[in-house]
Amino acid sequence: MTENPFTTAFPGSDAAFTAAAARFFDLLRTFTAQPSGVQPPDWTSFGSLLAGQFEQWLRSSPAAGASFAAAAGFPGAVAGWPPGALPLGPAAAPGAEAQGAWELLMKLGELQGELARHWSAIAQDSAQRFMARMRAGGGAADLSADGALALYETWVACAEEAYAARVRQEDFCRLQAQLTNTAMALLLAQRKQADTLARGWGLPTREEADALQRQISELKRQLEERTQPDRRTAARPAAAARRAKPRSPQRAAKPGARSPRGSPRRGHR
Amino acid sequence: MSDPGADSGRLFLELGSRAAQTLARLRLARDVRVGCSARRAVWSDQRTTLYEYLPDAPPSALEARGGGGTTPAAARGKGRPLLLCFALVNRPYILDLQPDSSLVRRLLEAGFSVYLLDWGDPDDGDRLRDLNDYLEQGLGACVRHLLAAHRVPALDLIGVCQGGVLSLCYTALHPKQIANLVTLTTAVDFQTPEDLLSKWVRELDTQLLARAGRVPGELLNALFLSLMPFRLTQQKYVRLLTGRADQRAVDDFVRMERWIFDSPPQAAVALAQFVRWFYQENRLMRGTLELGGRAVDLKNVRAPLLNLYASADHIVPPAACAVMGRHVGSTDYTACAVDTGHIGMYVSRKAREEIPQRIITWLRARGRVTSPR
Repeated sequence: MTENPFTTAFPGSDAAFTAAAARFFDLLRTFTAQPSGVQPPDWTSFGSLLAGQFEQWLRSSPAAGASFAAAAGFPGAVAGWPPGALPLGPAAAPGAEAQGAWELLMKLGELQGELARHWSAIAQDSAQRFMARMRAGGGAADLSADGALALYETWVACAEEAYAARVRQEDFCRLQAQLTNTAMALLLAQRKQADTLARGWGLPTREEADALQRQISELKRQLEERTQPDRRTAARPAAAARRAKPRSPQRAAKPGARSPRGSPRRGHR
Repeated sequence: MSDPGADSGRLFLELGSRAAQTLARLRLARDVRVGCSARRAVWSDQRTTLYEYLPDAPPSALEARGGGGTTPAAARGKGRPLLLCFALVNRPYILDLQPDSSLVRRLLEAGFSVYLLDWGDPDDGDRLRDLNDYLEQGLGACVRHLLAAHRVPALDLIGVCQGGVLSLCYTALHPKQIANLVTLTTAVDFQTPEDLLSKWVRELDTQLLARAGRVPGELLNALFLSLMPFRLTQQKYVRLLTGRADQRAVDDFVRMERWIFDSPPQAAVALAQFVRWFYQENRLMRGTLELGGRAVDLKNVRAPLLNLYASADHIVPPAACAVMGRHVGSTDYTACAVDTGHIGMYVSRKAREEIPQRIITWLRARGRVTSPR
């Protein structure tokens, strides 16, 4: 029997292409909407239009948002992680837990505000770099298809440079981490609320499930040790053959010899 | 004198026509197939599966199941097995994406017995699985299975990206089991100045992360795209409007797209350990890493080592890989920077021609007695 092993769902390049092309045409429309006959074009007003459009995209793009946009309910969040507010609402859980979750949500809002300032700065910097490059290049507009695509390449290069310069700064990196940490804390706070509710209703909690999972893992490990006392020996026929021979008393009595399996496994649990 | 209104009208007409043509090609490519070499599972435990690639089978993206037991077909022949270990954060089929871009196929053609470790998808029950579990119960189990099946004391190992890091760790812990080690885009120094990922995760709270359960693959996709968001989410699509992308090029493009957006979820504990121990504390390079209570000393990596990395890598900077030679114990160490980017290492023209040939030549020079099929 044969089958295709690769059946994972795929979001669709055609949809992504359509969105990117639409943005490209928007940019072109902005460019060609400048007063006719102005040569060289008015790069300053064009740059400011570009910056505005660009900032809007930055605020809404999942890719530019990444983990720091993963807060529940915020634009650009990755669906499902961390999850949104509990269906029953924070008010359904005890007051202190609900209060903690709300405080985390408020903090996320503040951090998102800080992030928006970075997006704005990146957009302004991109436009300035673009204008400087166009002016340096003479500034004549080529309205052919290839000319438009070349213009777009220049714009993307400027945008990436501005983005790279900003997102490597310490304050941005710190903000990125704070956003992710706060989003994760919110996830855990919501889970704690869910556990409280579950406990109240006599349902198994996440903590109990985790404890069982640990027990199962430990039992499996013990079972493996009993059924395969020396996995390394099985993997090394030559070593196994040597071991089958009588050991010299000196070697057998060597103090501190390691067990065949090595040190006990220590999980980060 | 040209009329700007007419010029812009022609521009939109021309580009609109190209966009319509490109969109039609993209839609035709929707069902494009990824993975091209026949293979069969020879070992599996929970999520991890060891595949054997079948050199004599017809070239198709089909997977054989059952009918042959679990003894590798290649074990009936001779020679050391060659195991490919990919990253946890991406799918390994990039190594066998399509017939003209398949490291697996080139290795098979060169006569190697090729195996691939597929980590699979962790589910919520794997959320406590740690890095040592992946190393010993995943990679280690595959290595042990192949050594027993082929009746050899050691195999050849190719570790790719994060899989290269795991391969280095495994080789350091079990040096006698690895005859030759090849690493592709594998970092040893996780704190080089160019490493944006490293900067971003430096202050991440890994204790919170470890408790988060299962981290969705979509989050990792977004993280990788956000390293260069305009190039990776906008420009690459607009470039299709140059009009030079025929149906075959669009098919290739969509195959890559499928891989890029197909990251598996991550077991949070293992991911948190990787972030903390490697990125935040740089333990591998500093010699302070311990896995399962055992010190991971790169000086124990004494097997011949070929280190291939990309000179324009935006995910694993070349400087992060280039230092490997200073830390491993191999006296037979070869490093080579390939003029391409991270993904280019797998699918670019360089990947199609230069990288497989380098690996094959290097392995053959180190005791492989194989002949092209």
